Amino acid sequence: MMLPIVILIPLIGAILLAFSRGMSVKNAGRIAGGFAIVSLFLARPNCEWSLPWMPDADIALRFSMDGLSFLFVVLVSLVTVFAILASILKGKGDRAYFALILVLQSALYGVFTARHFIPWFLCWEMTLIPAWLLIRLWGGPGAPKAALRFFIMTLGGSAFMLVGFLALQLSVGTMDFDALGKLAAQGELTGALAKSFAFTGMSGHSLLTVVALAVFLGLAVKIPIVPFHAWLPAAYAEAPTPVTMLLTGLLSKMGVYAMLRIFLPVFPEVLPSLAPLLTWLAVATVLLGAVAALAQTDLKRMLAYSSVNHLGYCTLAIAAVAASQVDRAAMSSALSGVILQAFNHGIIASALFSGIAILEIRSRGQRGLNDFGGLRAQTPVFCGLFGIAVFASLGLPGLSGFIGEFLIFNGAFAITPAAAALSVIGLLLTAVFLLRMMRKVFWGPLKPSLAKWEDLTKEERILFGFLLLLIVVPGLFPQVLLHFANPAIVELLDLLRPIP
Amino acid sequence: MTPAWTLISAFAAALIVLLLPARAAMASRMVALVASVIGAVAAGSACLAKLANPAAAPWSFDREWIPNFGSRFHLAADGLSLTLLFLTGITAIAGVLFSWNIEKRPRAFFAFFMTIIGGVYGVFLSRDAFLLFVFYEIVILPKYMLIAIWGSTNKEYGAMKLTMYSIGASALILIGLVAAYAAAGATSFDIAHLAAATYPSAMQAWAFPVLFLGFAVLAGIWPFHTWAPTGHVAAPTAASMLLAGVVMKLGAFGALCVAMPLFPQGFEQYKALIAGLAVVGIIYGALTALSQKDLKFIIGYSSVSHMGFILLGLAAANHWGLRGAVLQMISHGIIAGLLFGIAGRVVYERTHTRDLGELGRFDLWKSLPGAAFAFTLATAASMGLPGFSGFVAEISVIIGLWQVYPWLTIAVAAGIILTGVFSLRALYRAFFPEREAAAAPPPKLPPLTWPEISAIVLLLTVSIAIGIYPKPWIQLIDDGLRSPLFQSFLSLP
Amino acid sequence: MNHSQLFLQLLPEAVLVLTALVMLGAAVATGRKPGKEFSAGIGIATFGLLLAAAAMFFVPPAGESSTPLLANDTLARIFKVVVLALGLFAIWLPLARKELENPGEYYALALFALTGLMLAVGSNHLLFLFVALELSSLSLYLLAGFPRTARASEASLKYFLFGGLSAAFMLFGISLLYGVSHSATLSGIAQALEAGQPSLLAMTGLAMLLVGLGFKLAAVPFHYWAPDVYQGAPATTVAIVSAASKAVGLVVLVRILQIGFANVAGSAAWGEMTAGWSLWLAVLAAVSMIAGNVLALAQTSVRRLLAYSAIANTGYLLVALSANGPKAAAAALFYVVVYGLATLGALAVTAAVERDRGDDRISSFAGLIHRSPFQAVCLLVFLTSLAGIPPLAGFVGKFALFSDALAEGGGMGFVWLVGLAAVLSAVSLYYYLSVLKQVFVKPAPEDGFQTRTLPPTHVLNLAIPALLLVLLGTLPSLLLDPIARALCETLR
Repeated sequence: MMLPIVILIPLIGAILLAFSRGMSVKNAGRIAGGFAIVSLFLARPNCEWSLPWMPDADIALRFSMDGLSFLFVVLVSLVTVFAILASILKGKGDRAYFALILVLQSALYGVFTARHFIPWFLCWEMTLIPAWLLIRLWGGPGAPKAALRFFIMTLGGSAFMLVGFLALQLSVGTMDFDALGKLAAQGELTGALAKSFAFTGMSGHSLLTVVALAVFLGLAVKIPIVPFHAWLPAAYAEAPTPVTMLLTGLLSKMGVYAMLRIFLPVFPEVLPSLAPLLTWLAVATVLLGAVAALAQTDLKRMLAYSSVNHLGYCTLAIAAVAASQVDRAAMSSALSGVILQAFNHGIIASALFSGIAILEIRSRGQRGLNDFGGLRAQTPVFCGLFGIAVFASLGLPGLSGFIGEFLIFNGAFAITPAAAALSVIGLLLTAVFLLRMMRKVFWGPLKPSLAKWEDLTKEERILFGFLLLLIVVPGLFPQVLLHFANPAIVELLDLLRPIP
Repeated sequence: MTPAWTLISAFAAALIVLLLPARAAMASRMVALVASVIGAVAAGSACLAKLANPAAAPWSFDREWIPNFGSRFHLAADGLSLTLLFLTGITAIAGVLFSWNIEKRPRAFFAFFMTIIGGVYGVFLSRDAFLLFVFYEIVILPKYMLIAIWGSTNKEYGAMKLTMYSIGASALILIGLVAAYAAAGATSFDIAHLAAATYPSAMQAWAFPVLFLGFAVLAGIWPFHTWAPTGHVAAPTAASMLLAGVVMKLGAFGALCVAMPLFPQGFEQYKALIAGLAVVGIIYGALTALSQKDLKFIIGYSSVSHMGFILLGLAAANHWGLRGAVLQMISHGIIAGLLFGIAGRVVYERTHTRDLGELGRFDLWKSLPGAAFAFTLATAASMGLPGFSGFVAEISVIIGLWQVYPWLTIAVAAGIILTGVFSLRALYRAFFPEREAAAAPPPKLPPLTWPEISAIVLLLTVSIAIGIYPKPWIQLIDDGLRSPLFQSFLSLP
Repeated sequence: MNHSQLFLQLLPEAVLVLTALVMLGAAVATGRKPGKEFSAGIGIATFGLLLAAAAMFFVPPAGESSTPLLANDTLARIFKVVVLALGLFAIWLPLARKELENPGEYYALALFALTGLMLAVGSNHLLFLFVALELSSLSLYLLAGFPRTARASEASLKYFLFGGLSAAFMLFGISLLYGVSHSATLSGIAQALEAGQPSLLAMTGLAMLLVGLGFKLAAVPFHYWAPDVYQGAPATTVAIVSAASKAVGLVVLVRILQIGFANVAGSAAWGEMTAGWSLWLAVLAAVSMIAGNVLALAQTSVRRLLAYSAIANTGYLLVALSANGPKAAAAALFYVVVYGLATLGALAVTAAVERDRGDDRISSFAGLIHRSPFQAVCLLVFLTSLAGIPPLAGFVGKFALFSDALAEGGGMGFVWLVGLAAVLSAVSLYYYLSVLKQVFVKPAPEDGFQTRTLPPTHVLNLAIPALLLVLLGTLPSLLLDPIARALCETLR
């Protein structure tokens, strides 16, 4: 019973906020933060909850928290709290704003713990509306269009996913992820599809490929994978910075998690044939993200493309797992890497965007690459703390960003060496644009408009402090995270055994 | 409280309201509200009783009435009827609440309103074909009056079109029923008796389409659906809710519980055609809704599209299909009530426009955030999002249809996607428009009143309750489907 | 039997005749004071009718002392009471004082007409029927043209010419039938026809007889008099024509066909059609329904609309008769009573509106619900009963008609006629609704007009038929059962 409570607490907070009038922004933010963090302490791994809906069709609201889900639930709680704190600092938002963030949090909890397509899809869709509203109503001048494009593309992708799963329901009679995984492990999905769709005359393998591609499309828009990323730069740039933290830190992870929880277990029968496509799309994402980031002058857009790039590594690893089904060591490495990268990138991106938020607060909205300079002297603490975050994003060993990328490349090189080699270029380019950003913002002559700037306030220091704690500790002790992830990885590998 | 209280409360309220003094607006509203609540409570408690005690004998009331042509006053309620009675009760309450501020001739309004409600209760309760037909026809004249007197756009034309289609379809039903009566020995109009008789297949070949079409026209089958958008747009809000939400379901109910059991061989011959027309209706309704500029027309055409699902479920004629059809009857009843209520009452009353472009001027999400939120949820429900009642209904229909006409399922999927597109388009352009920064600030609008909020909350709660926990509803429907009436054409599963 | 028993048999009719004579005498005696004469006329007529109704109790039951000419079976008794009741309502219709120069004569003639109708209802002898019908027809021709307006005169003349022609047909037909069967009673004719094939002469005779009766019922193509008479004649005349005369015409038709010509019926079922009066009636019914309903759609005068509605309703009645079965005939008889009540009521309201607004166009009814709610609600009852909407008697009547007709019509093939009737009946809602639209939806006219207070006879005249229609709509067995039983008895 714990699990539904954990999922619903932020929603209750949202309802409370919606109905209370005459509350100041700060108080609203504090209440929101309170609700956001409660679930963090209540969440426990290894609990389950299920509510049957239509037993004849095996449709039930089934949620379950294993180690993997637990990790992501913790990530959601943390990033949400940081986003709320950043909002309070910026002084942005009102009751509706915080209420929407809490609704988003509940929906995300649902996405990361659901074990049946229906509740999962419900929560997936439930994230759309708060996200859309948050971008649209509190964003910048181009926000309506950006928000609309985000909404439509994501929804379009989801529609394909829905159709794919509907096909599975009609052939096999279930949409439960675990049940589908077991059936897939025995190679039964192709047979069932071939029988149900016999009137089309396609082979079971082709049918399953079509279904897999449909599902992939929905996830690809979310992560995003090139070329389905078109909504991202504008949305990230136009959204208020705390919302961007949510978008990059959490919503993109929805796609990655789904690849692990849904795509890999349900479609092992066709993964080998899809692997080349996945691999090259991943490479394209990595490279394009890095190159595009290099070309930006808007800091937010730059970091947006950098996110695309970082998540491209996750896709690379998944593609590698798909390509090979025998090299367990490499697969295990790759999967560990994906999970770590997902978690850590969430934190690191939050830190980076918090830095941008601080720049925006001080400069009243400016965030161009060339708008700043010489801040090292003016705000040394900020420079130091922000620098740590930047180096984490670079992948410096000892900080959390390194271990994920290392494990990914370790696994990928063993399975798809060519693709991995090309992706290394992405690493190099990342270093280039991140260091350039540091140089342009903090080194060089101090711009006169910045002469009055103050260093970090106490609240800002606390915010950054927590963030950096979460960057340093997992960097030095990755077992903390792997402890939770390992059982899930083992289970997944069992399912991915090649079909006899 | 037996289900008979639904009938009694509705007709009694109609009479009482007429006897009230001329300007007693508040009294007539209260009477109507109390009667609606009594009806809903009676239906609801009967549902609960049935769920608690599934093996108990269903309530029944049987009296001699017109021996000359073998018609008895026979009412009964099985699980299926109970769910539909409950839908009617809820819609009645919401309709009264949404009409709370009617100032023009309120007595007459509520009298006609409660008469329609009573007639609908009667149809769902009747077990005698003549009695069913009596209740079916009773609603025709009040429908006309409600639209012609209190309606808006093109009210007289819309009212007349709707009424003439209704009575024309009733003529077909009359022919079908009378033919069945004559061929079954001219002894009784009891539906079970008529269904048990065997009719030569040559007769069923013409009798079934006539009888089915008579009912299906009221259910908005394509291409005889054109009365629905015109009529519903012309009607005042409460009437639109009633007509689209409940009265159209009378047609579907009649098709399911009268036309199909009476002439099963005829049904077999025409099944494919019905399924085809239903799918055309779904897609046509969605496409037309996509091109509309008037918010109420969009909702009207979306009703046509949703009713297509019901007909599709009927055409599949297996357990899943029929379940889905009845679930969609309930679900769409609630959702149509919600959509019309918000668009007609909450928005139109304040902005006096339903044109999407003009509504954009008002920035409704800011001036009426409650309405925007409610309409968003209603749109989600209308699109068939899981968590709302529409999803349960549509997926049941799809599973049922898949087993019989797999190719049509693909067309249905296209229809669902189109539904999503036009629903979101309407929601977006009406409530969340993009306005230039330099545009004038929107005029201030009065906030939602308590009756409006209550009605919206009631409808949303029921829809979500069905969506989250459909099991009891499915149980009730399955109980109804076990009736011998359906065994002649119901194929498993 | 002796003369006293004979007199008892004819007691109600005698009472009516006496009342009429008294009224004529009183008219002469009191001199020509129109105002007093008017109310006196209505009063005396009312008294006479009520007395005649009371006298019904004294009529000995059939079988005890029947004559070849009279057959006072239960069917006749029921319909004599019906005629009296409908006549009473007709008399109470509000007429403008200036319409009638000599009210005493008018009401006396009305009583004569009713007498003729009552006599016609109770006879099985063709010549007697003819005389009785002619008595009523001649009175009605005069009643139609009573006001010396151009319209009334035209109506009366048309009525007379058509009526005379059809009377001639009828007489010729009777004579042919007499020639064939050597008997003028229905049972005699039936016996004669039983033996062997019906001769061409007999069928011709029957056809001509039907022409005459078709005129009475306003069936197409014998209906040309109806619209003008309905529009031009005073309201009371129209009421008698549309309600009482029609009912009697139907009873007579039922008697003739079921008793006299039962075995030459033929069949009108599609695919099994055989020549006979069933087929002829089916054709007449079809064209009457089509013409009546279609032409009614275009009317702007409510009276003409009611005329075409009468023609259409004749069509429905003929559908039931064409089915050639006792239950269908009983349903038709039930329906004709119900129809009579409804049309009477509608005419009453129309007459009141005419008095108030000057004409009977549909637009004159605008906003009646605000001007005179009682009349508007009663009109709603009457018109919806005519349209066939529950819970009113018209609906049950039509339903009974259609279902019994199909059940007894000789197989499923009969459905073409029943189907046509059902569809056209649905169409009829359009024109009734167009009147109701004016009454309920349109606002009251701006000229600040106030409806005058309604005299109590008018109130009763509206209330009683309306209540009866509702009662018979919910409990039709009250009338349907007695009629069915009476018909069974008659046909045995």
